[in-house]
Amino acid sequence: MEEDYFSLSSILADNHKLSCTFLLDVPGLGYLEGGSDPNIHQHGKLELPFWLAQTLSLNEFTTFPLPPAYSNRVRAALNASAPSVRLSNLVGGNGWWYRFGKRIADVLDDRPQTELLNMLLKAFINRLPPLQDLAAHHASTDASVPESGHGTGEAFREGMEGDERELFGIGQDSGRMVKIWYDLPWGRRPSKLS
Amino acid sequence: MALPKTLQPSLTPDELTFLAEEEEISIVPLFSMTRIRLLSGIYGSFQPPSSSKVPLWLAISLKRKRKCRIVPPIWLNVETLQTLLKNEKERGEEFGRLPGRRFVEVSKVLLDVAPDDLAQPALLRSLLKDLREVRQAKIRLGLQSEGVMQGSYLQVTNLTPIELTELKPFLVKAMGMMQALEPRRDEAEGDE
Repeated sequence: MEEDYFSLSSILADNHKLSCTFLLDVPGLGYLEGGSDPNIHQHGKLELPFWLAQTLSLNEFTTFPLPPAYSNRVRAALNASAPSVRLSNLVGGNGWWYRFGKRIADVLDDRPQTELLNMLLKAFINRLPPLQDLAAHHASTDASVPESGHGTGEAFREGMEGDERELFGIGQDSGRMVKIWYDLPWGRRPSKLS
Repeated sequence: MALPKTLQPSLTPDELTFLAEEEEISIVPLFSMTRIRLLSGIYGSFQPPSSSKVPLWLAISLKRKRKCRIVPPIWLNVETLQTLLKNEKERGEEFGRLPGRRFVEVSKVLLDVAPDDLAQPALLRSLLKDLREVRQAKIRLGLQSEGVMQGSYLQVTNLTPIELTELKPFLVKAMGMMQALEPRRDEAEGDE
């Protein structure tokens, strides 16, 4: 989950919108709100993409409450059973839940920052074993055979967020590579390298 | 990087097998020839009833041409594998020590190319499979162990390169994510 300047995932995660409250009047930018008022007033609320909200909040032009994706409700659900929470659609289309949470944490003060990061880390740790099992399972089964049955594994798979999906893909690919090696007699090339 | 993503993290099983083909093995040649100088060394001489040591790749090549009989390594027999398997099961979470870094590759290649030179190849195959499964189960347990959960380490003593190949890309990314999410404790401690 590197914060690479050129990482498309990071850029996409940065682009997710956040509900911000302005702490001062901003003349001439009222069109952002879509209303007829030419100015933004103090305490006005506006959805801003994170990359903008970050700078504005660090300079104390705006504040934002913790987005609902990281609220106490989600935290309680994660505490109850982390693998059964659907993280996929909490943050935008691709759902970079961890990435976005980490970016928000970077802006927060020490205490809430530690709390938020702890929640992300705990969620990740608790979701890792089922993720690994699922990746191993999918690596060992033939990809051309259609999936059958919708067990807990499938429900978990649909609830994975962006980085978890990447991790799943990585685990599946390396497992499959080794499985192909085990299954084919040595010295005979597969007809098609996948 | 110009390499495709799948080749970046570590060597592929095929590449590892290629390396394993440098391992020495004994063969009993079915032809007579004086010593031969190849790029990788001098091999021979080959005199039918006596055995000689050659690299695995040469042994495979000769075997495919029906020009030799491969003498299995001392560990590739039912008793040794049964002992290894038993040892592996008794060790708990630790991994047992395998005879050689290329154990998995060499045993697979020999079973594929020269099953007729081994005693009870079907049983050997199933013992190797059992051994692999026991070790896989341990890796799975290891991934859920305390060390990994703290994002710090995974105990991989006695794992061979090919087993690591299967594990590495997943583990590296998972660990990377945990490190990124870890609250910055060091700084806080430094401030105190």
